Amino acid sequence: MDNNMGHNEVKPDSVNETDISIQYMKRNVKRDITEKIVETIFLLCALVGVLSVTAIIFFVFYKGIRPFTGEDAYSIKDFLTGTKWAPSENIYGIFYMITASVLSTAGAILVGVPIGVLTAVFISEIAPEGLVKIVKPAIEILAGIPSVLYGAFGLGVVVPLIMKITPEVQGQSLLAVIIVLSIMILPTIVSLSESSIRAVPKKYREASLGLGASKIQTIFQVVLPAAKSGILSATVLGIGRAIGETMAVMMIAGNPTAGMPESIWSMVRPLTTNIAMEMSYASGRQSEMLFATGVVLFIFIMLVNITLIKLTSKAGEK
Amino acid sequence: MLSRQAKDTIVKGLIYFSAASTVGILAVILGFIIIKGLPGLSIDFLTRDYEDNTTYVYSELLETQEGNSTEGYSERLGITLDFDEENGLVIAEIDKDSPVRNALDGNDEKYTVKKGDILTRIGDLRIDREFKELDSKDEKAAAEFVQKAIDEIDAVKEDSVRLRVVRIGGGIVPMAVTTIYMIILSLMIAGPVGILSAVYLNEYARPGKIMTTIHFAIKNLAGIPSIIYGLFGSLFFVQILKMQYSLLAGALTISIILLPTIIATTEETLKSIPKTYRESSLGLGATKLQTISRVILPNALPGILVAVLLSIGRIVGESAALLLTAGTVAQIPHALFGNSASGATLTIKAYTLMKEENDLTSACAIGIVLLVIIIAINVASKLITNKFLKKKGI
Repeated sequence: MDNNMGHNEVKPDSVNETDISIQYMKRNVKRDITEKIVETIFLLCALVGVLSVTAIIFFVFYKGIRPFTGEDAYSIKDFLTGTKWAPSENIYGIFYMITASVLSTAGAILVGVPIGVLTAVFISEIAPEGLVKIVKPAIEILAGIPSVLYGAFGLGVVVPLIMKITPEVQGQSLLAVIIVLSIMILPTIVSLSESSIRAVPKKYREASLGLGASKIQTIFQVVLPAAKSGILSATVLGIGRAIGETMAVMMIAGNPTAGMPESIWSMVRPLTTNIAMEMSYASGRQSEMLFATGVVLFIFIMLVNITLIKLTSKAGEK
Repeated sequence: MLSRQAKDTIVKGLIYFSAASTVGILAVILGFIIIKGLPGLSIDFLTRDYEDNTTYVYSELLETQEGNSTEGYSERLGITLDFDEENGLVIAEIDKDSPVRNALDGNDEKYTVKKGDILTRIGDLRIDREFKELDSKDEKAAAEFVQKAIDEIDAVKEDSVRLRVVRIGGGIVPMAVTTIYMIILSLMIAGPVGILSAVYLNEYARPGKIMTTIHFAIKNLAGIPSIIYGLFGSLFFVQILKMQYSLLAGALTISIILLPTIIATTEETLKSIPKTYRESSLGLGATKLQTISRVILPNALPGILVAVLLSIGRIVGESAALLLTAGTVAQIPHALFGNSASGATLTIKAYTLMKEENDLTSACAIGIVLLVIIIAINVASKLITNKFLKKKGI
């Protein structure tokens, strides 16, 4: 650094002027090369993310599409519309799993989003300072709890409670999954909704209040509509989390090998748990079918991701 | 129609109810894990190996001096033995100069016998068999049982004796060590890559195709659920690169999961460093690299630290991806990859305890440990944020 910063020591009428400038030029060349190399290293690191996504998509799809090609190809239609999963009989149907994933996610959104948004309203609009200091950290801790512990909670609290009221013999059910998933998406919904509510300009509220609207009316007819896109992003992110959740769900879903869910009391087997349950010992066709399950899950996730990126970039443009 | 006031009151009630239920749910979850796990939590749980460990050791014997006859004390080994209802003959006390401290195992390597170890065999005396026949309620028989063992030691004619020592397991040490390994290894991989990516994105990249692609990729990465990462890791790292279920396969998979968090958090911090810092440094003749390494990064340190803390939280809590890449064996990995490199982290063990052994108590006891770590991380990152980032007025 010191060498490079010594420009002002150069005296114009020095005898060695040319020598010195050549020396500096050399140094500059060396410096430029170092800078260029370093920049390339930085760029390579930044490309690791791109490479990872590409590799993940390539490998999961490559392995997941294989069972449907070649000589003893499995019918894609049977795969997507079947309601029985029996690897030992070479039957792989995942329609009941897709249904389970969609139903449990929809249920979680239906329960989690209203509670989450209202909690966000509470934090940002009506709670006194003291209460904010309790609710906000609580949400941060809720966000940090590992999914396995949500599973423990589901298994130890939710499932036994459902046991008491269910007409079925077991407590593991769609309802248990919905309850636990709605809790798990709460932190996402609350924190994103809260920041988008806070971003609504004060003027809006003042104008509404000035026109004689009550505080609650202002919140629901002015603030929330203005924060709509943020809340929508929060919901989409919540969908992504709910549909991708694995470990907590695995412990409370019941994971039957066949059958469409008939009511909220039925056992379900979402796509994620199908993969996690059998991956450790699966091989050959069964393993490929698990990857195929992964592909279906991935398509759902990509839809969610793209929607989300579109939503957030739209909000950014505003 | 309800009056406006009535409507407002109802809605307000709903809002309060929602906030209360959010906090209430957290309280119930924490309460459940603590109440359920506390009975399983103990010093032994935190300091012991998971499996019972049986070792044959050879210990020298001291010369006997007549006269010392405290109950249960074996002079020749310098240890006090006690009767334990569950395990039989337990070593309750070890003298400072006891020869068992320098016992040798079958391979002539030193094996230090510790307090709490169980003796199941002394010379040819099968203590475990004697114990089986014993009525543990009978105090007199128990005392005789201990005395018989001491007599057996005293009766040895050679100057050393072979003992079978069982070190009782049931603890979480291997999983804790695996978790720490996993944290260190993942951060070593994802840390530099993530931070340098963020530097590139914020300091070098000009808005354009490359930058959009990278941002798009990272946003997508953040949305991929960990089970998909697990699928990819189990295919690419475990099978194709032949790492098998191993520490390295797990750490590499987790590193990809961590990238979006580290990049986003670091980028955020870099963005918050005022432009004037860069301009002054460049204006003083420093190169871009010098500016980055001596001005930008030091100023971004608190933010990077928060990124690291968040990552640790993520690693500690991760399960689905590790289940498919690092395995579920309760051992300390002996290598980075290959045969004996598999190991379960605390979270994975909590899961297998629940799922395979139906042991909700131990799982929740691990849960308490996890909660303590996570709350500590939460508090620490908050302190850093408040202390460094707010002070600067950034």
